[in-house]
Amino acid sequence: MNVENSVKNIFFEAFLNLSESDFSWNKEQKDYENWDSFAQLNLITLAEAKFDISLTLDEAIEIKSATDLLECVRSHLS
Amino acid sequence: MNIIDFLKNSANKYPEKTALIFENNSFTFDELWKSVKILSTSISSLNTNNVISLMAENSASFVISYLGIINSGKIAHLIPPEISETNMLTQISSSDSSAIICSTTVFHKISKYETIKIPIFQFNDLKKIKDNQIIDFQPNHVAYLVYTSGTTSVPKGVSVTHSMVDFTTKNIIHILKYSNSDIDVLPLPLHHSFGLGCLHTSLYIGSTLILLKNTNDLQSILDIIKKYRATTLAVIPATLTKFLKFNENELINYFSSIKLIITNSTKIPTNTVRNFKKILFNGYLATYYGLTEASRSTFMIFNKDSSYDESVGQPAPGIKIKIVNDTQKSKTGEIWIKGNNVIKKYWKNIQADENLIHGWLKTGDLGYFDDSGYLYLLGRSDDVINIGGEKVMPDEIEKIVKQIVGVENVAAFGIHHEIFGQVIKLHVIKSLNSDLDKSTILNYCIKNLEKYKIPSKIDFVTNIPQTDYGKVKRFMLK
Repeated sequence: MNVENSVKNIFFEAFLNLSESDFSWNKEQKDYENWDSFAQLNLITLAEAKFDISLTLDEAIEIKSATDLLECVRSHLS
Repeated sequence: MNIIDFLKNSANKYPEKTALIFENNSFTFDELWKSVKILSTSISSLNTNNVISLMAENSASFVISYLGIINSGKIAHLIPPEISETNMLTQISSSDSSAIICSTTVFHKISKYETIKIPIFQFNDLKKIKDNQIIDFQPNHVAYLVYTSGTTSVPKGVSVTHSMVDFTTKNIIHILKYSNSDIDVLPLPLHHSFGLGCLHTSLYIGSTLILLKNTNDLQSILDIIKKYRATTLAVIPATLTKFLKFNENELINYFSSIKLIITNSTKIPTNTVRNFKKILFNGYLATYYGLTEASRSTFMIFNKDSSYDESVGQPAPGIKIKIVNDTQKSKTGEIWIKGNNVIKKYWKNIQADENLIHGWLKTGDLGYFDDSGYLYLLGRSDDVINIGGEKVMPDEIEKIVKQIVGVENVAAFGIHHEIFGQVIKLHVIKSLNSDLDKSTILNYCIKNLEKYKIPSKIDFVTNIPQTDYGKVKRFMLK
């Protein structure tokens, strides 16, 4: 599975009610019903586990959309 | 009555009855009492102060030495034989012990330690007194001294008095209905309050005690029960759960003579309780809640009604228990205990004495009472993980993670986090040949736990530090 699909899956894993049609790469944190600070923590944890990476606190705070997470993951893998 | 009176009375009533069986040796009550008196006299010839350490695996010699030390007017300081050198030295220093009595196995281990400055005697060194030289003694106010196993901190010395033992033993016998016709199988270590309490019970009531070396060999325990038609068995919950690997009909057969299985120390998995209700055709399963500092504070006898299967029961007669918390809104809080089973103070430890307030012992355990007065345990107050103000008990996380195929064992604990204060970390032991990965664990947690309870870090490990009784030593993980 490529990085893009894996990151997308992380969103489906973290937000169990998220449907394919609801997902958008540029949809922002404020537009998600359940994206609170705990959900943010879980997104980061899932990404760290899936890609065997470790995000800094500053990086974690900056993630506000699926695109942000994808770029952050890519920066660690490159 | 003191502990020695327990033995003396039974020796008077049933001199020829078998008191103790260990491997191929057996002692009548009269023989046991004589052996104890001989050992006490031998101990009195040693130049010791009030405290003598006893360090050995389960054996008849352990029983005789324990009672012999007490009968000589000394305090028996019980040290687990597998203790580290550092902890042993700390205990010896803290207890003011003046000699060590030990088994040959322990002697070979500790005689190499140059740091031990007090004399070490093997059991066989102390048996050279003739009958006509036997002396009578007056037991000390304190019977024995043990250091708590320490799931949360540095061990503390707990000095247990004869009156505490007398009170607790009478409660055990009254509530669990032990009788002098019982044959009690005990595979628990005698250096711990649970095993020791069982020994006191058998001595008091005049039943026969079959002492085993350890709990690991399940087949041996079953064979002994069958061979002697044993009527009671004392084991920890983990052993009970392991028994369930045997065929149910086989277990029903093995346990057909058993009228009581007593267990303790932590809540028993509900599945184990339900299975043993079926297996014990002629008996019942019981548990209790207690600490070394407040032995046998509640009792729970499991019956057909499954409503209380997760409870540790109701307070024993003469014991008060209250739940203390910061808010009136919650019925959950720290368990405080008061009664004649509670220590008055720790052994020379002013800091630890702060846990004793006007006779109440602050246990550090969290729990609540239901409307029927049954007590439920939730964990240790020190173990609570505070994630941005949300309080999480590690047991809850562990219970869910253990459901995942490929997880052999797990420990959850809090680690520092800059934003949330704490987050949850897991140490997971994978089953043999399992290809379990972290994502699978996280996904399972997300589906089965609230989102603030999802672990933030997971490490796969090969060992999780635990006490002898299977409790996770979380303070060693943090």
